[in-house]
Amino acid sequence: MRILLAEDDPLLGDGLQAGMRQLGFVVDWVRDGVAAERELRALPYAAAVLDLGLPRRDGLQVLSAIRAAGIILPVLILTARDAVPDRILGLDCGADDYVVKPVDLHELGARLRAMIRRAHGQPHERIAALDVTLDPAARSVQRAGVPVSLPAREYDLLLTLMLNAGRVLSREQLERHLYGWGQEVESNAIEVHVHHLRRKLGAGLIVTVRGTGYKIERGR
Amino acid sequence: MRPARSLQSRLTVSVLMVVVVFWLGALGLAHHEARHDLEELLDAHLEQGAALLALQASAAPAGVLPHYTDIAAFQVFQGDRLALRSDNAPATPMFELPAGRTSGFATLTIAGTAWRVFATRDSALDRRIFIGEREKSRTDILDALLHSGAIPMLFSLPLLAAAVWWAVRRAIAPMRRMGALLRERRPQSLDPIVIDHVPPELSPLLAALNGLLGRIQTLIDTERRFTADAAHELRTPIAAIRMQAQVALGESEAGPREHALAATVAGCDRATRVVEQLLTLSRLEAATVVPLGPIDVCGVIGGLAAELAPSARAKQQHFAVEVPEACRARGEATLLAVLVRNLLDNAIRYSPPGARIELTVLAGDGRVQLHFEDSGPGMADTDLARLGERFFRVVGSGESGSGLGWSIARRAAAAQGAVLQLRRSERLGGLHIVVSLASV
Repeated sequence: MRILLAEDDPLLGDGLQAGMRQLGFVVDWVRDGVAAERELRALPYAAAVLDLGLPRRDGLQVLSAIRAAGIILPVLILTARDAVPDRILGLDCGADDYVVKPVDLHELGARLRAMIRRAHGQPHERIAALDVTLDPAARSVQRAGVPVSLPAREYDLLLTLMLNAGRVLSREQLERHLYGWGQEVESNAIEVHVHHLRRKLGAGLIVTVRGTGYKIERGR
Repeated sequence: MRPARSLQSRLTVSVLMVVVVFWLGALGLAHHEARHDLEELLDAHLEQGAALLALQASAAPAGVLPHYTDIAAFQVFQGDRLALRSDNAPATPMFELPAGRTSGFATLTIAGTAWRVFATRDSALDRRIFIGEREKSRTDILDALLHSGAIPMLFSLPLLAAAVWWAVRRAIAPMRRMGALLRERRPQSLDPIVIDHVPPELSPLLAALNGLLGRIQTLIDTERRFTADAAHELRTPIAAIRMQAQVALGESEAGPREHALAATVAGCDRATRVVEQLLTLSRLEAATVVPLGPIDVCGVIGGLAAELAPSARAKQQHFAVEVPEACRARGEATLLAVLVRNLLDNAIRYSPPGARIELTVLAGDGRVQLHFEDSGPGMADTDLARLGERFFRVVGSGESGSGLGWSIARRAAAAQGAVLQLRRSERLGGLHIVVSLASV
């Protein structure tokens, strides 16, 4: 899950980035509002963590601008502004969640997962397709009730395809979902990961759409 | 403290006491006047009586006349012989007229009773006539007069008291209204008290009270704002500490864990600094009136330069201080130290390694000027304008800061009547801050 983190405080930004990476998120960190808006317009992030007191452009301005541009990704506001009117304003500007600093790392992770799940129309914590069940909170996968161990990148690819079940995702889209800035992508990385997933979870789970990309059929 | 008596009873009692004193005075005066007039009238009656007796004595035989009233008595002497007397008069002359006087009055006691006696002597007929009247009959008239005046007064006193009580109560009604209004107020309510038709005597009190309420409101607002600011300023450092600590807890590799732990420690240092700055700000806000006097600017700067030089050295910055032999200015040493420390600390903190930081003190034209210049990143004009706003801090400095340093410097300057100017440094390219103090 690729997340955009917009936070101007060096210590907190560094900690948030490291913490969210520990939880399995791919994190891109920007330190001002202009950069945040630019990145949100450019890339398909799964969610954004937005500070309000951002330099150059306030977080609320960024949020209003991207909502006006039709970008619907889930946005969590993480701020020191704790007054009720600020919370109301934040949510009314288009935020999906409003969290006052300081925040627990694991709570932040859970909130992000819940936001992302809901954004993909998944009401349940566990996502299923065919005989495969995925638990985002535990980052665990089961096939017919038997746990299957997956490396981080393969898990992320599976989660992305399952969250977008029924939709075809191109190789480029998948790469953008899976790799943050400065992470080298081998030209055939996605094909290799898909190959491994098919081997572990069955050939029928991930469907190749010729000339377009991959998809997982919507589960029952 | 003993509770004071109510205004109501004080005013009522005072008014009644004044009325009673005046009444008693008026009664005394009336009594005195009446006594005087009565004496004159009754003495004239005695003289007239004597004249009638003189006529009667010529015609009547000698002897004792039966008396018809015991309030009057008379004697007629022919030579030394008692020719005529009333039966309640003694046989001897009531008193002796002084020699050479043909008539006169005397007040004397005969057989235990006080009398007013008139005596007249007719030398041609060798006859003396004494006629007297009891004093008591005179005082009885006076007493009757006095009673007729005093008794209505005595009876009207309770009525008067009630009337005064009512009038006073009406007069101080606005005070009671004000009291009731104050009693009914919620303790949190600090809006001005508004009362219709305030009498002029109460309006200074009301104005003073509203002024006090206003000052309390300002104080509470400042406190509240300060608390909110403090919470806001501390949230981010605490969030950073918590996040870094959690990262360290969850990290299995030594390198990233040490990085997170070092960041946790840095976060604690930063939170400590924010707390110190908040305390300084709060002290500055509390000290509204600072006694200013001549201070040794060079001494203050010298001490701080020595204290801050190591942190500049740690960033390989070139830190130079140039002060004249002696420079005295009007200010407050502690506040000046706070001001200089924060400006120097900001310069060191926000200038990159290897930067130049210079502090020059110039004296002249009745001012002592402190020039802080650095070769740091400086500030964009838009940032210069926003400096000092709540929570504003310059971006991209790579330093964790709360922007409190500038607020502190500004307040410390204002408290000393110092002028603080901020511009781009022509010489070094960074910031150029001028603090201007009045010299002594």
